[in-house]
Amino acid sequence: MVATLGNDGFMRQVLAAGAVFPDFMLPSAEGRLVSLASRLASGPVVISFFRGEWCPFCRLMLAALTEALPQIEAAGASLLALTPETGGLALAMKTYHGARFEVLCDVDFGVGLAAGVVFRVPKLYRARCEAAGLSFPARHGNAAWCLPVPATFILDTDGRVAWRFVDVDFSHRAEPADIISALRQLGRQ
Amino acid sequence: MELSQVRYFITLCKTLNFTRAAEQCNVTQPAFTRAIQRLEEELGGKLLFRERSLTQLTELGRAMRPHLEAMLDAADAATALAAAKRLHTPGSLKIGLGPGIGAAAVAGAVREVAVALPGASIHFKESGPAALIEAMLTDMLDCALLPEGCDMPERLNRWPLYVDRAVAVMPEEHRLCARNAVTARDLLEETVIVGESCGGFAAQLAGITGYSLRLQSCNGAAAQMLDMVAAGLGVALLSNRLRIAAPLASRAFTEPELERRILLTSVAGRPLNPAAASFIKLCRAQGFGSLEKRLLF
Repeated sequence: MVATLGNDGFMRQVLAAGAVFPDFMLPSAEGRLVSLASRLASGPVVISFFRGEWCPFCRLMLAALTEALPQIEAAGASLLALTPETGGLALAMKTYHGARFEVLCDVDFGVGLAAGVVFRVPKLYRARCEAAGLSFPARHGNAAWCLPVPATFILDTDGRVAWRFVDVDFSHRAEPADIISALRQLGRQ
Repeated sequence: MELSQVRYFITLCKTLNFTRAAEQCNVTQPAFTRAIQRLEEELGGKLLFRERSLTQLTELGRAMRPHLEAMLDAADAATALAAAKRLHTPGSLKIGLGPGIGAAAVAGAVREVAVALPGASIHFKESGPAALIEAMLTDMLDCALLPEGCDMPERLNRWPLYVDRAVAVMPEEHRLCARNAVTARDLLEETVIVGESCGGFAAQLAGITGYSLRLQSCNGAAAQMLDMVAAGLGVALLSNRLRIAAPLASRAFTEPELERRILLTSVAGRPLNPAAASFIKLCRAQGFGSLEKRLLF
């Protein structure tokens, strides 16, 4: 899967530094509507895409971000974690980690698609998921069998991408230390 | 995949004509064709076949269309809602509620929409499934909560929201109120009030137990049925998600447990206004306290 995505020019379609991240409003894990604009009004925003509660790499990343949150907030930024999972799974993911940041439901992959991070799960990987009893149609409420690559974006207060981390290998994630140092640099500009 | 590729594909599904679709998307035809080809590569097969002047969707194209359309609508809705909030565009939200389905479970989601879009008008319509489906198809309703198992046309989106459980509703001074739970056997000495707003629990009970219950038919809105329960006409089996207030009380109904699954439905492929689109997302995002264990690892 990693090789397929790596070869087909996937990276070209992902929102690049300097691009404006489209404004959005999505439901939070607790059932509130959260808008990007309202977050940008109080500082830079870190947006991190997650594949889901079932993904062990996402769990590690969420744990790391939960730990790094005080430093992210100290840099004046807020953090939004986006997942395509529905039916209360976003809340389950948030509760499991005791996360204080917003976990938003990117229902039907709308924001992920606009950011260029959504791909269709290749057949072989899909067969493995199904064999493991992992039903994306049930979890997403959408039978497209898509996932986001776990990308992280830092947006400046104008909503422009100031920094991003994208790797089609889902085991590679943005390092919290890199996010914090990018935020500090943004603060100095 | 890219947003533009998906947009081009959905436009092409509607026009079935490359030239017209490219024009509508404001892009040159070579660029349009390349985008469709790249999408085909990602999705692993041809989405359309072209024979002279005829363009048709392939099986893969037909299978992917509703999913991609939902994704495109979601991308547009996320930005449209943000814009509607910025520009203070009022909207309207029209929700159908099937028999015996209260608004309490979705009230929080409705409140969120009303707060995000001040001035949005809210409209509930309680009716039978057939009437609500007809109202959705004719654009009089945005969406409806319906019990699973009712007749639904193919073109309705449906998402499981929560499971309703039956409770026995009676006056506070009723003898069964002294119990923690009421069973089928307890009801043999009671009159059971049944009507459209009962959610079919009494019929389910009769089917499971084979008991011949003493039934009193009472049709109308849930409020009127509750008035009759308060007047001492009998006991009603209703959804545990309806709010029951004094002088009535409710007790869990066990042995057998009666359940029904409630679905959120909307017309597939129909663009929704920002208020309705965000309401549906809010509902789909939630677990309603009944997150299914099978989904959790």
